[in-house]
Amino acid sequence: MKDKKDQTLDNSPIKRRDFFRRLGSIVAGGAILGIGGVGVSRVVDKEESSEFWQIDPNLCTQCGRCETHCVMPVSAVRCVHAVKVCGYCDLCGGYYRTNAKELNTAAENMICPTGAIQRKFVEDPYFEYTIDEDLCNGCGKCVKGCNSFGNGSLYLQIKQDLCLNCNECKISTVCASNAIKRVSYGTVYYLKEHA
Amino acid sequence: MMKRKLLLFAALGLQTLAHAVSRFPKPDFESGYQYPEVSYAIPHEHLWNVVDVVLLVVLLGVVAWAVYKNRTRVPIIITSVISIAYFGFFRGGCVCSIGSIQNVALAMVDENYHLPWVVLMFFLIPIIFAFFFGRVFCAGVCPFGALQELVNVKSFRISKPIAKTLSVIPWIYLCFALLFALTHSRFIICQFDPFIGIFRLGGDTGLIFFGVALLLMSVFTGRPFCRFLCPYGALLSLFSSVSIRKPQITQNQCVNCQLCHQSCPVDAVLPPYQNKVEEERMKSVWRVLRYVVVVPCLMLLGVFLMRLSAPRLSVANKEVRLYQLVMQQEANPDQPMPAEVEAFYAQGRTVEELTATNEKIQKDFLFYGSIAGAVIGWVIGVNLIRLTLRRTRKEYSIDARHCVACGKCFSYCPSTKGVKS
Repeated sequence: MKDKKDQTLDNSPIKRRDFFRRLGSIVAGGAILGIGGVGVSRVVDKEESSEFWQIDPNLCTQCGRCETHCVMPVSAVRCVHAVKVCGYCDLCGGYYRTNAKELNTAAENMICPTGAIQRKFVEDPYFEYTIDEDLCNGCGKCVKGCNSFGNGSLYLQIKQDLCLNCNECKISTVCASNAIKRVSYGTVYYLKEHA
Repeated sequence: MMKRKLLLFAALGLQTLAHAVSRFPKPDFESGYQYPEVSYAIPHEHLWNVVDVVLLVVLLGVVAWAVYKNRTRVPIIITSVISIAYFGFFRGGCVCSIGSIQNVALAMVDENYHLPWVVLMFFLIPIIFAFFFGRVFCAGVCPFGALQELVNVKSFRISKPIAKTLSVIPWIYLCFALLFALTHSRFIICQFDPFIGIFRLGGDTGLIFFGVALLLMSVFTGRPFCRFLCPYGALLSLFSSVSIRKPQITQNQCVNCQLCHQSCPVDAVLPPYQNKVEEERMKSVWRVLRYVVVVPCLMLLGVFLMRLSAPRLSVANKEVRLYQLVMQQEANPDQPMPAEVEAFYAQGRTVEELTATNEKIQKDFLFYGSIAGAVIGWVIGVNLIRLTLRRTRKEYSIDARHCVACGKCFSYCPSTKGVKS
């Protein structure tokens, strides 16, 4: 048995609340459909959508922040070497410091702070240079040297197997020249092929 | 980590750079030297993205089943462990629904922005589940929630005024995150993520300390991050408050023993309340009128404050910072040039173009900042009004907005015990 007061409570406000709840559900459902619809229209084909971070070597100024600002303990940025662009010089601007006293492999003459650049004699007067990616930390010192005095065959790239693909690349937030951009799967590396 | 090496020939040659400086000619090898083959490691994202989405749906399904059919906590705990192991440690915490808010928001206003399909899925699927089943995503699928849930030992209740005040923070955080995302400035949710350093076993020291502090707090009180910080939780609470199905403490008669109220880690079980004071009609009319005045005032105050601080907030944008640096340099050309300014001149960009960009961003900040200020004012106003509303409840019931569907109350309820539904 319900008294009169209970009945009015049962009748009017509950129904009103129920109505508002249903209205809310409709609005929420509509919002999901709306966001989903616009979102789907912004999703592009897998091969073309820009989902990966990469450094544009045309813009890069080797400010050195790649080494220090990546979220990884050792940056995912590495120096890569475009062999077809390299001049194979003996006096390499990416290998020796500009103020090197003697041209030998003593640390004070080397530009690379981690000893990641190795060279091998090919034939007079050519030397082949290779980057040991396990030692490279992406500081870009050799890149600066190669760009200043050589063919620019050394350049910095984000290694896609090391990169965690953060939602916002931390290096890109400090990059001095806005060189870090989203690229698509088909073009995950910038390649230098011709001199 | 799976590494696939692929020799790249023509397929990746699209971005070939033609104008590399050639100071030295290509060497003429006489000894028959062959160029070494250069290999590039390709990303392995695509396969894992499919696994991510499938696992997300499966785990959400398991939690929904555990909450509505199985009615025990065991599947939720298993889900939590899987989520922490996979989404947390294995995937480095970076397939993340919380951060996806920013990408989706940016995609809504910017036609040129490429929204990865997996990000859209991670944004929409938990919301769809929240619309049907409540916040099952928070229960154990979100690695952040799962981590806090697993370390939780005792739930000391935070006093109501403090809890109510703090619960506005997620909304403010959400508004600021959207403001910075929509102006192409920063993804602050990703930048200030407290748990990502723990999952990646390294990162910003301050944030790791913050994350550890949050975990220590969540030993003694349920989920401080989810309740007082998480912007996605705020969004999900909107949908769970009108969800089709809502978690029930018990399917039997409530005996008002308040055990569920004690067990709830997020204070989402509302005690019964007898509203004894009947308000006079005219009094309540005046009360509503006061709200009608107060809320727009708060919104206007929010707009005013945000417009006032918009120029300072806009410093978060890189182009605005560059503009300021260039202006300093132009005013005082003798000082040493920062790397940014050097790159700016080297790229041949003009001051006029940068000024135009700066003005556009400032306008964006004023526009979106005003909206954000209004929303923050609205949220604070509505929360104040909620404090004055007292509804009669006859038994303990779940507040669907705050319930994270952890399922703790099920086993505490004496009505459920011994009765298999």
